[in-house]
Amino acid sequence: MNILKKSAAVLSAVLLCFTVLAQDPTGGVKGTIINRADRAPIQGATLKLKSGATEIGTVTTDAQGNFQINALADGMYDLSIEAPGFLPTTVNVTVNDGYVKNLFSMSLSPSVLANEVDDSSFGEFDLDGTGYEDTPTILYDQNDVFNNVAGYNFSSVRFKARGYASESQDVYVAGVKMNDALTGYSPYSLWSGLNEATRSKSNVIGSEISPYGIGGYNGLTNIYATPAQVRPGMRFSLLTNSALYRTRVMGTYASPENDKGWSYAVSASARLGGNDWVQGVYYRSFAYYAGVEKNWNDRHRLALVTFGAPGTRGAQNASTQEVYDLVGDNMYNSNWGYQNGKMRNARNRITYEPITFLKYDYTPSKDFELSATVLYRTGKNGYTALDWYDALDPRPDYYRNLPSYFYMANEDYGRLNPVKAAWAREAWQNGLASTTHVDWDRLYTVNRSSEGGRSKYALEERHVDQNDLNLAASMKWNPSSKVTITAGLNGKQNRTEYYKKMNDLLGGTYFLDVDQFAEREYASSNVMIQNDLDYFFAFGEPRQVKTGDKYGYDYYAHLMKGEGWASGKFALGGLEVTIGGKAGVTTFWREGLVRKGLFPGLDADGNPISVGGNIYTTYDENGEVITSKGNSKRSTFMTYAGKINPAYSFTGGHRVFANAGYSSEAPYFDKAFLAPRTRNTLVKDLVNVKSLSADVNYMYATNGYSLRLTGFYTTITDQTDVMSVYYDLNNSFGNFTLSGIDERHAGVELGFEVPTPLSGLSLVGVFTAGEYIYTSNPLLTATVDNSQEIIYNNVPVYYWKSTPMVDGTVQKHYIPSTPQLAASLGLSYFYNYWFIDADVDYFANSYLDMSPLSRTDYATAGPDGKITPEEVEAMTKQEKFDPAVLVNFSVGKSWYYKRKYQYGFSLNAKNILNKKDVKTGGFEQTRMVDNTVSKERYYNFDPKYFYMQGFNYMLNLYFRF
Amino acid sequence: MKKFFYSIIAVALLAVSCEEWEPVIGNQGDPAEPAYETLTVNTTISELKALYKGKPLHINDDVIIGGQVTSSDVSGNIYRSLYIQDETGGIEIKIGNSSLYNDYKLGQWVYVKCQGLVLGNYGGMLQVGAEDPTGEYETAYIDVKSLIYAHVIKGQKGTPLAPVELTENDVKVALGYSYRSPYFGMYVTLKDLTYSHEIFALLYMDNYEDKKASSNRLFLSDQQWGVTTWAMSQNKMKEYLLSGVWDSAKIGNSGDYNYGTIGDADNLGKLMDNAAAYAVSQYFKMPQGTEIQIRTSGYAKFADVAIDREIINGAKIDVTGILAYYNGAAQFTLIDIDGVKIKY
Repeated sequence: MNILKKSAAVLSAVLLCFTVLAQDPTGGVKGTIINRADRAPIQGATLKLKSGATEIGTVTTDAQGNFQINALADGMYDLSIEAPGFLPTTVNVTVNDGYVKNLFSMSLSPSVLANEVDDSSFGEFDLDGTGYEDTPTILYDQNDVFNNVAGYNFSSVRFKARGYASESQDVYVAGVKMNDALTGYSPYSLWSGLNEATRSKSNVIGSEISPYGIGGYNGLTNIYATPAQVRPGMRFSLLTNSALYRTRVMGTYASPENDKGWSYAVSASARLGGNDWVQGVYYRSFAYYAGVEKNWNDRHRLALVTFGAPGTRGAQNASTQEVYDLVGDNMYNSNWGYQNGKMRNARNRITYEPITFLKYDYTPSKDFELSATVLYRTGKNGYTALDWYDALDPRPDYYRNLPSYFYMANEDYGRLNPVKAAWAREAWQNGLASTTHVDWDRLYTVNRSSEGGRSKYALEERHVDQNDLNLAASMKWNPSSKVTITAGLNGKQNRTEYYKKMNDLLGGTYFLDVDQFAEREYASSNVMIQNDLDYFFAFGEPRQVKTGDKYGYDYYAHLMKGEGWASGKFALGGLEVTIGGKAGVTTFWREGLVRKGLFPGLDADGNPISVGGNIYTTYDENGEVITSKGNSKRSTFMTYAGKINPAYSFTGGHRVFANAGYSSEAPYFDKAFLAPRTRNTLVKDLVNVKSLSADVNYMYATNGYSLRLTGFYTTITDQTDVMSVYYDLNNSFGNFTLSGIDERHAGVELGFEVPTPLSGLSLVGVFTAGEYIYTSNPLLTATVDNSQEIIYNNVPVYYWKSTPMVDGTVQKHYIPSTPQLAASLGLSYFYNYWFIDADVDYFANSYLDMSPLSRTDYATAGPDGKITPEEVEAMTKQEKFDPAVLVNFSVGKSWYYKRKYQYGFSLNAKNILNKKDVKTGGFEQTRMVDNTVSKERYYNFDPKYFYMQGFNYMLNLYFRF
Repeated sequence: MKKFFYSIIAVALLAVSCEEWEPVIGNQGDPAEPAYETLTVNTTISELKALYKGKPLHINDDVIIGGQVTSSDVSGNIYRSLYIQDETGGIEIKIGNSSLYNDYKLGQWVYVKCQGLVLGNYGGMLQVGAEDPTGEYETAYIDVKSLIYAHVIKGQKGTPLAPVELTENDVKVALGYSYRSPYFGMYVTLKDLTYSHEIFALLYMDNYEDKKASSNRLFLSDQQWGVTTWAMSQNKMKEYLLSGVWDSAKIGNSGDYNYGTIGDADNLGKLMDNAAAYAVSQYFKMPQGTEIQIRTSGYAKFADVAIDREIINGAKIDVTGILAYYNGAAQFTLIDIDGVKIKY
C-alpha cells in the first residue's frame, strides 16, 4: 500500500540505466508538463531522456502532469517530451552537483493548433426557431480523444454529444456562466471571430465537476479570456472557405508580461462575403478584443477586458422537399429576392452585444487562490423578417405557391387541378424570379401605390436586447496535498427587452400599429385591435410607425439568480473522489411595456378598461385579470444539484472514472409564459426541470496510445417547451405550450488513437451509439394571440407511445436533429511540421423534429372523430433520415524563418464525395390539411429540411512572430 | 519575409474587390415604377360575353380584352375576384388571390390575355377563369402566380370610373338577357330602393360536414329573422343564436324539415360550436317592385354593421356597387358600406 501511494504521488522513474556507476548517482530531473493553451496538466506525456544517442530512460506523467527521473549522473541530457495531441519538443537538461533539477512547468503546444481548424467556422448556422443556433454542437476539445475528432468531423451533420440540447452545455467566460439567462442557449456567437483571444479554455465533459462550477450533465467549458492567457506574439491569418463566408482576416497581438507586471492583448477580425452553396447567406461581421492585465508579484492580478462582435449576417431558411426538387437544389434559400436587379436577403441578424469584465485574482500562497469577476453584457440583437398587413404572403415557398397546392394524386386532398399545378411547376423549374424568390420590386410597388403611403409590406426587426450583470467569486484551497476544496458564489441580474422595430418601410411612409389578426376577429372594435392601446386613448388613432420606431409588442423579461457551490477533491492513493453540490434561487417575471387592446388589464387605478359602456378587461379561468401591461407575478424556483466523481488511476496510464449527478433547475423564461408577446399569463404548474445522469469511463493514454470508452445514462424530466405557431383555422399566430416533457439518453462513446509502426502516423477513430428518446406523453396547451381562447387545454401528446398502428406496434419518438449513431475512422500523419489527416465518417439514426399537434388524439381522429390505425401511422410516424458516409481530408504545414517567424497553411476539404442529399435536420410544420374530401382524416403539411453542403474547402494562411 | 506578408495583404485586397462581394443584406435602392404595358385590345367585353353559348368556353384564340378596374376587395365584401369594365360592359375576372386591391388599383387598366382561359357562368354571371378539370364549376380561380402574370397584364393607372346610373327598366331588360347583358358585372348606381324585411341566408350545422346533406343545412328566408346587420361574422352569428330570434327556424331543405329547429338545445349547442361567418342577402325593392338582393359576405369588414334604422323604417336609399345576377334575380354587391346612401 505504501508503495502504491508513493508511486501515485510521484508516478515516476522506470529507470533503465545501462551505465552502471561505482557510486549511486543522486542527481535527477523533475517537473510538470502542462498544456500551453490552457495551462492544464497533461497526463500521460512520455518523456525520454537521452545522453547523446543513448536512451537512458522513459517516464510518463501522472494525473497532475508531474514526472521525475532519478539516479542521474551529472552531465548534459536531451529530454524529449511527447503527448498525444501535442507538438513534441526537446529540451536540454544539465544535471550537476548531484541535485535533482526542477524544470518546473514545461508547456506543450497542442498539435491541432497548427492547422488552425476552428470548429466554429463550420459550426455556424443560422436557422431561427428551429433549434439551429449559432453554436458549435459539440465542443472541439484537443485534450479528449473523442471530442477532438467528433468536434470537427461531426460538425457538418449537426452532431450533438450524447443527444443533449446545446443549451445543456455550460459555457463560462472568466468564471461567469454565459448561457443565455432566458433561453439557456450557449452564446458562442458573442465572440465568434475571436478564435485566438478565446482559445485558452478548460473543459470537462458529461457530469464531471469543473474547477469553475458544478455544471450540468453536458460538460462545462470555461474560456479564460484574460490577456495573460492569450498566446504572446503577433498572429495574423487569412482564411477563405466555401461553406460560410468568402474570407476571414484576423490579427491578434498579445504582449508578454513586462517588468512591471503589465500585459495586454488585442485582436480584431472581419468575416465577409457569401459562400458557394447557399445564395443569400452573407456575412459582414467584425470582432474585436482588448484586454489589459496587471500582475503584482504573482499575488494580485487584475484584468480588464472588453470584446464584441458587431455584424450583420444574411440567413438561410429551410424549405420542403417539393421546393428543393423543383429547383433541383437542396441548398435553395427562400429568404432572398431581387430588388432593383440586385439580391436582397429578408432575414438578417443584426447584432452587437459587447461584453466587458473585470477579473481579480488573489493568490496569497501556493495552496490558496481567490478570484472574482464582474461581467456585463449589453447591446442589441435584432433579426429582420418581412411583416405584412392585408396583403399576400410574400414568401416564395408559401404552400399556396407550390404545385402541390393545386394538384395531389390523393383525391382526399381535393386538389384536382393538374393544369394549374403544371403552371406552378414550370414557373419553379424555369426559375421565374417572381415565383422562386421574394419579389421586392412588387412589395415597393404595392407600398408606393397604397393609400396615404401606408406600407402593406415592411421589414421588421425583432429584438432581444439583453442587459446582463454578473458577479462570480470563487476560491480554491489545498489544505493538504490530498485535498482540494473549491467553492464559489454567483449572482446574475438580467433585464432583456423583447420588441420589434421598423427596419424598412419598403417605399411606404408608415406602418399602422394594429393587430391584423385581432382585426379579423373583432373588426368592429377599434379598441381590441390596438397594439398600443394607451397611444390610441391619448391620440384617438393607432400609431403610424416610422423607420426605427418600436411597434407590435414590447416587454421586459426580468431575471435574478443567486447560487452557491462547493466541491471537494480527495485523493486516497490511486483513488480520487470529487464531491460537489450547489444550491440557488431563480426569480423571473414579465413586465409589459405596452397595453394591448385584446388584453388591456386594469387601468392605473385598478379599474377595468371600459369604452362606451363596453368592458374590455378579461379574466382567466381562475378569475385573474389577463393583462399585457405591467408586472406579471414573480416565479421563484429553488434550484440545487449534487454530483460525485470517483476516479481510480492505475499505473501504466490506465484510468477508470465515473460521474453521477442529480440536478433540479429552474425552467427558462422563454418557456414559462403562454404567449409572452401579448400577456403576462404563466404556463400552469411550472416546475423545476430534473435531471439524473451517470457515466462510467475508462481511459488509457500512454506512448502515443490514447483511448476513452464511456457508457452514459441520463434522464431529464419535467421540461416545458413553448413554440410559436400559425393556425389556419383562426388565421392567427399563437403558441403551443408543452409541459411534462421527459427524455432519456443512454449510450456509449469510444475514442482512440493508435500509433502505427510508421513514425508519425496514427489511426484515429471515434464511435458513439445511443438511444435518445422521449419517455413521457407531454401535455399540450394551445393559445392564440388574437383572443383569450385556449384552443387545446392540457391535451396529451403521445410521444412515449402512440395508440397502435396498422401492424399493431406503437410509435416511439426520438430526440431529433442529431445522429444517434456516429463513427469516424481516419489516419493522422504528423511529421516535421507537416500534418495530413484523412477520415471516413458514418452517421445514422437521425430523426426529424416533430410537431406535437400531429401526436394528439385531435390529429389522429380527424374531422370524423374516429382514431384509426392508418391515421395514427400517418400522423405520428417520425421520419428517420438515411445514413450518410462522408470523407474528409486536411493537409497543412508550417515553417520557421530565422527562428522568429512562423508561417504556414492548412487546407481542409470536407465532404470530398460531394454528397448533397444528406439531411442534417428540419422540422415538421405545425399545420395540417384539415379540409379533406372524405372528412375522415387530416394530413400533415410537408416537413421542412436542412441539408448538408456538398464538397467544401477551407484554406487558412497564417503568420506569427 | 516581407514578401510573404505583402502577398497575404495582396490576396486579401484581391478577395475584397471581387464582384461576388456585393452585399445582399441591405436595402438595394428604391426600384423604379414598373413599366405598365398597354396592349392592343382585339375584343370588347360584350363581344367576349357574346361568345358564351351555355357551356364553358375554352378560349383558344388570341383574345385580348381590356378594361378599367371597378372593384376593390379592401372591405372584404368582394373576395378573390376583380371586375373590369370597358365602354361595352363589365366582367368578373376570377383572380383567386386575396387583397387584390394592393396590386390592381381602381381605374387602372387591366388587360386579360384570354387564350388558355375559360369563359364560364356561375348562377348566370359570366366570369373569366381557369379551367376546372373537375367540372364542378365552369371556371376555376386563376390563382397560380405565374398563371396570373401570364394572363392578367397591369396597364396604366387611370381615374376611377364613375358608376353608371341604371333605371329600373334597365335592370328589367338586363334580367331578361340574363348573362348576356353587359350590365351584369358593371359598376352601377341604383336609386330609390326600399327595404323588404326579408333575408336569405344558408347556414350549415357544421361547415366541415357534407354541405349538400339536408340535415346539415338550414335556410333563413322569407322574413327578416331578426337579422339587422348586412351580414354576420362568426361572433355576430353567436349573438343571433343566443338572442333566440332564430329559435323557430327549421333545419333541412324545404320539404325535409325532419331535423328539429335551431331552438332545440342539441342543435343550438352544435351551431354555437360550429359558428362561422355567413353571407346574407338583404332584400330591397326598386320603386316599381323589382327585387334587388343586396348580398354581403360574412367576411366583409362591414358585415356586422347594423342596417340604419331609417332604412328599416322605410327610408329610400341609393346604392353603388357591382350589379350581379344569380339564378334569375338581380343581386347587388357593395364594394364598401359607403355605397349605401340614405335619401332624405
